[in-house]
Amino acid sequence: MFIFEKRLEFPVVIKNRNPKLASYILSQYGGPDGELAASLRYLSQRFSQTDKRAVAVLTDIGTEELSHLEMIGSIVSQLTTGEGARSFDRYGVGDYFIDHANAVYPANASGVPFTAAYLQSKGDPIADLTEDLAAEQKARAVYDNILRMCDDPDVSGAIRFLREREVVHFQRFGELLDLLQAKIK
Amino acid sequence: MVGNITPQCARLMQQLAAADFFATDMKLYLDTHPDDTKALEIYREAVKQAKAAKHAFEASCYPLCAESAGEGCSWNWLNGLWM
Ligand SMILES: [Fe+2]
Repeated sequence: MFIFEKRLEFPVVIKNRNPKLASYILSQYGGPDGELAASLRYLSQRFSQTDKRAVAVLTDIGTEELSHLEMIGSIVSQLTTGEGARSFDRYGVGDYFIDHANAVYPANASGVPFTAAYLQSKGDPIADLTEDLAAEQKARAVYDNILRMCDDPDVSGAIRFLREREVVHFQRFGELLDLLQAKIK
Repeated sequence: MVGNITPQCARLMQQLAAADFFATDMKLYLDTHPDDTKALEIYREAVKQAKAAKHAFEASCYPLCAESAGEGCSWNWLNGLWM
């Protein structure tokens, strides 16, 4: 079960508003390589694992991804707090405002809604973990792209933290894949 | 952003986040290295530190978990920074 703690894994306090930057970062909320896809992927794959280490890694990383989803939501929300229709329009993201105003909606950077087609759950640990390794690298690459677009230190500090976590998750999934392959042999 | 936090509580929050993050990271490591007794020791110590930091925060700021809420005579679960 899940228990809510009223805090972020990495505290985020953003002083400046920037709806355009928010619309880029939204991709890590509901985009193909985002945190919602990551958490659903791992927390779904965990049910079909037979190795205890695999269940633990998928449960614990999937849970951490939910905390990352929360962080991204907070970043997007803070970047748009108090901004009105005209401001969104000036920043070039008036179309987002028309459908969602200042709300956080699971979509990618160009507004395509989240879909479970972004992830797989195969009932085959080797296939699942190989997808998970790729997913962590793709998420890391998106964070690199966000950092290229971002010159607000309040935002980039949190994005760098999230990027680093993808690297650690990749490492843990790699170790797990090695452990499972050694068991098969 | 709903809610607010004083500078002193923000400092305690930073300490909690750092302590708990260390425990989270050690937990993931132990999942793939369950026989590493040295890591296990570090993990237990990290959890102790994180619990202390959480207690320190809740004692002088606001409840982080619903189970710590309502100890005064008010529903203080509503207080603090929600996101
Ligand atoms: Fe991750």
